[in-house]
Amino acid sequence: MIAIREPRDFADVFKYLGALWREEGALRFLRICWNLGREPSAAGAWWKSCLIVGVVAGGYSLYMLFTVGHASFNTSSDGVNWGLAIATYVFFALTSSGLTFIASMPMVFGFRELYPIAKRAIWLAIITLIAGFSVLALELGHPFRMLWAMPTGLQVMSPMFWMGVFYSIDLVLLLIKFYLLWQEDWDSPLSHFVGTASFVAVILASGMLGLVFGSIVMRPMWYGSFTSIYYILTGALCGAAATVVTTYMAYDFDRAKMPPVLREMAEGDHMPKVFATLIGIALVMILTRFWTGLWSNLDGLEGFHALARSPLFYGEVLIGLGLPFLMMLSSRIEHKPGMQMAAAFLVLGAMFINRYEFIVGGQLVPMFKGTWVASLTEYTPSLTEWALTAFGFAIALGLYALGEKLFNLSATPQSLMVARAGDRRMAH
Amino acid sequence: MAKWGMVIDLEKCVGCQACTIACGMENTRLPGEHWQDVIFFQEGTYPNTELKWFPRPCMHCENPSCVAVCPTRATYKTEEGQVLVDWERCIGCKYCMIACPYGVRFYTEEAPRYGGPDLKAVFPAADAHSWSPPWKAPQEDWKHGVGVQPHDVVSKCTFCYHRVSKAPKGTADLDPSNPVMREYTPACVVACSPGARFFGDLSNPNSEVNKQIANKNGVRLLDHLGNRPQVYYLTGVGGAIPNTHTTKA
Repeated sequence: MIAIREPRDFADVFKYLGALWREEGALRFLRICWNLGREPSAAGAWWKSCLIVGVVAGGYSLYMLFTVGHASFNTSSDGVNWGLAIATYVFFALTSSGLTFIASMPMVFGFRELYPIAKRAIWLAIITLIAGFSVLALELGHPFRMLWAMPTGLQVMSPMFWMGVFYSIDLVLLLIKFYLLWQEDWDSPLSHFVGTASFVAVILASGMLGLVFGSIVMRPMWYGSFTSIYYILTGALCGAAATVVTTYMAYDFDRAKMPPVLREMAEGDHMPKVFATLIGIALVMILTRFWTGLWSNLDGLEGFHALARSPLFYGEVLIGLGLPFLMMLSSRIEHKPGMQMAAAFLVLGAMFINRYEFIVGGQLVPMFKGTWVASLTEYTPSLTEWALTAFGFAIALGLYALGEKLFNLSATPQSLMVARAGDRRMAH
Repeated sequence: MAKWGMVIDLEKCVGCQACTIACGMENTRLPGEHWQDVIFFQEGTYPNTELKWFPRPCMHCENPSCVAVCPTRATYKTEEGQVLVDWERCIGCKYCMIACPYGVRFYTEEAPRYGGPDLKAVFPAADAHSWSPPWKAPQEDWKHGVGVQPHDVVSKCTFCYHRVSKAPKGTADLDPSNPVMREYTPACVVACSPGARFFGDLSNPNSEVNKQIANKNGVRLLDHLGNRPQVYYLTGVGGAIPNTHTTKA
């Protein structure tokens, strides 16, 4: 097996891969890439399955997009214009924002005990954003045209314009921040500045993504500044859940393999309580939103009745959020690794349903589309749309596994380790 | 500078849909891609119901939400008031379709609306056009959203920009009964056999559209949303426009 050493910087990654390609030849290079996960580890198995899913789902969706085009989507001018692909993009973009919030806890707000998850959270924030952008690019009619038409159009009135601006700034700052941690720069003024700037950028980006929907008074199910707050806070929940899942995965789902700082956090009371609080906030927001939607007679809110009749809604609220909420509050099971992981997986599933329900639900009331259009639009995603979503997940999870292989994502500042050792000596 | 607007007298409209057909022919639309639609709806509840209808072109709003949300300025408002799409700037993000309260916009790449046949597949284009119809109107101007559109863009009613923009300066009314003005008048107005449509300059106090709006109490669709349409309806005693999005009970 080829040993993978951690590259020194971004240029080194490409130099190393180029050298490997030249030395080993294309076929052996591909075999090495495939066998990245030969040693038995969760990330390794993850990498292989993501490669398979990515090639199959990506291949199918690209084939359909090149042969049939966007007509292979079940979206329609008569009803649901933005379908599953946009829901997937929103899910990834907000998960990325949430992961940046998590990384900001130690880097901006001084919760030093969270340093061991910072580098992994930033890497995850980068790749989930890349996965989201990839799905969005394949949903757009002309993604390459966007690269020149948005900067030259400068439509400052458009929430989508600002969403693009802030998420681009966010991605650049995340890359810089990851580079600094890579170079073991945890505490310099530059590192602090980038951390703070990144936190501000991600608040603006996720808030602006909320305003893409919240500005549209014609769609009352989305309208209002609430949507921004909703996106920011539920994004934080997704980030927390993704952090729990991937941190366990990095240590082969075995708490004993974790460094002491992390183990103490996973075993302590704080993590489950913080997680439960975030789930509770999401539940309150979702249920109050549904309450006003079902209670009001306002034209355009009829979609809430359709959503409330859907089994997906009950799966989301009862199983995906309610159950993990109770699990993380119960003093008997909140510390168990399996329960923490199950809660995190359930939350991620529920939030994916939530994004889908939010995006599609907001368009269920058609706008003057003629006599033959039903009073509420029907929409089921096509196979191409599902394949595109699977492709997005394969990109995110595959790149995550690659990150675990290439980088030391569990890196922690030396000073923290020394301080922890000092604390333990004092205790003895 | 004129500010073009339309008045539709619902007391005269017979729901024949000649406007829809004329628009489709003039602008080479696919079946079901009705830039100009006639929407039938029911008022009241059974057994006290009445079938009503109203024609619905693009409203060419004074405050168009579609223009404000377009991230590339592909959708824009001309100085003469038409809201148009520049197909060379449109990235197909469909945000304008989300933001338009009147549902007047269409994305090119979709399955056929009436279940087929898919005319785009029957008459495929060898060039950048989305399809190559066996017969099409000669005008083409992608900067103003006129003609057969390219792939993956959003299209909409242009108020027949290719006709109206050639009207002599200072024209108050584009009246199809005036042979001089007929070729500058939007196709739906020309085709309207009961003469329910009027087209003219809303900024000219003497124009026929302004007189009709003033004398017959013209109203605008979903006026509470604040988009301020430049299409007015005269409801009289027999006509009606729905005041909600859902035209069905």
